[in-house]
Amino acid sequence: MIHFTLTLLLRATVVLTGAALATFSLLWHAPGDPALAIALARYDAQVPAEVLEQVRAETGLDAGFWTAFKTWITPLLMGDFGQSSVTGRDVWPDLFTAMSYTLPLALLGLCIGVGIAVPLALLATRRPGGWLDRGAVAVASIGAAIPAYWLGLLLILLFAVQLGWLPAMGARTPAHIVLPALTLGLGVAASLTRILRSGILEARGQPFLPALRRRGVGAAAIERSHVAPHAAVPVITVFGLELAFLLEGAVIIEVIFARPGLGSFLVGAISARDFPKVQAVVILTAILFVLVNLAIDIAYRALDPRIGERDA
Amino acid sequence: MRSVLVLVAVLIALAGIGPMLAPYDPAMIDIPNRLAPPGAQWPLGTDALGRDILSRLLHGARWSLGLAFVISVIGLVIGTLMGLLAALGGRLMDWTVMRTTDTFLAFPDLVAAVVIAGVLGAGTSSLVFALTVTGWMRYARVARGIGLSLHTRGYVVQARLAGLSPLAIARWHYVPSLMPSLTVVWTGMFARAILGISALGFLGFGVQPPLPEWGTMLLDARLHMRSTPLQMIWPGLAVVACVLSINLVGDVLRDALAKQDDTA
Repeated sequence: MIHFTLTLLLRATVVLTGAALATFSLLWHAPGDPALAIALARYDAQVPAEVLEQVRAETGLDAGFWTAFKTWITPLLMGDFGQSSVTGRDVWPDLFTAMSYTLPLALLGLCIGVGIAVPLALLATRRPGGWLDRGAVAVASIGAAIPAYWLGLLLILLFAVQLGWLPAMGARTPAHIVLPALTLGLGVAASLTRILRSGILEARGQPFLPALRRRGVGAAAIERSHVAPHAAVPVITVFGLELAFLLEGAVIIEVIFARPGLGSFLVGAISARDFPKVQAVVILTAILFVLVNLAIDIAYRALDPRIGERDA
Repeated sequence: MRSVLVLVAVLIALAGIGPMLAPYDPAMIDIPNRLAPPGAQWPLGTDALGRDILSRLLHGARWSLGLAFVISVIGLVIGTLMGLLAALGGRLMDWTVMRTTDTFLAFPDLVAAVVIAGVLGAGTSSLVFALTVTGWMRYARVARGIGLSLHTRGYVVQARLAGLSPLAIARWHYVPSLMPSLTVVWTGMFARAILGISALGFLGFGVQPPLPEWGTMLLDARLHMRSTPLQMIWPGLAVVACVLSINLVGDVLRDALAKQDDTA
């Protein structure tokens, strides 16, 4: 187990280094001159050639890819995300504010999703192939095909424009979180229901269950101590996928609902070509994503010892 | 099974001959008749510039479905090659390729696609590049997994002992065995590409106006949500219908494959 964990940790480090390199090289190869952008942000309209040279030297942009990468990554490793190239302010406080909008949205979305998916999957698997089961699968399949931005627009149309029950734009009051969270939650519910359903069905089909039954173990005990843990293994993987879904969903949903979270932060930064901000968001998501997947791999291994090291 | 084939046929027909069925030029601006409701003259109404929405939807199929097809096939080719390289290239190659794959998987793919397309500058080529770069990893993982399991199969060992080159083994023994599973992955990635194209279009980083793409159409329609809410329904419905039918095809293929594996 310790060897396994160390291997995974090493792998995560390699992957994160690769991710940092990929992020940096994308922005390095981006059209336009990043030094000019920084200089423009600092000195407004007219940029003398010597200022441009100074900025290039400061950011290491004149010394080739690897030096520039080192100049960028060294403060980052210390937790310093640098300054916005548009406003010149530190990136971190703005990023933190943005996250404080995204985190509650993602958590509430996840709660709504789990709150719908778990009872629905349990109901559906009571009688596999029954009308309830088929209905749940059909609804979940349609739900999984609905893009988050369209669902968001439909909810705005219904609850904000037609009925006028809920606010749609911004994040001024607590009520503003309802529609975006619902959009996110319904999307989560759609994918989670299907995965939970097949997880439970597969767990019920395990050959050791009839053996247990014949030995006189009660139905409730079998469900609790044999079916539930078995069905839990795929669910853990799903949380990795859901995290991706939540982050992606948040990006688009925040833009639709004009919520000043991470997604609006990212899209705004891209449009303004504020690369330090873009880099900060991308690296932060990658770290979060890799860490969660690392935790999942370890949990997986702890829950199911049959999973080998080579294909973990 | 038959109904699924019909669905596929309808989709292909939609992308192929859809534009020919369009009653109007999708780019024809007609300001006096802007935001017209659905009726005899414009079956689904007109948009803010008076362009016929049905014509734009039909032409949009070529962008949304056609580009998604291209993106998912490029991903299939790159991913399969990477997976085979990992499975056949020895331990060091395997490690390198799989860590590269992990690195690309370290970003939620739509977030990465938004960043890539946005940074490179909005446009169709950036869009294709962004969605391809973020869409080959699943093929690679599946191809490598099956590839490794083929190593010890009798006929592969025989071929190796008979002196067939790795390239020939890959071509004649690995690729045919990979195809069924990769086709199932491909349906998922095709659907993902449709969603990705429209999402990027909706964010303004994808296919650029005035080209009729479904996500871009939604972006326009959103501004007129109060006056003509129906305008927002059509492009979304088109995306849902396509993604849903492709997912259904994928489900049927997956079940067929599972049954085949059971009997084999």
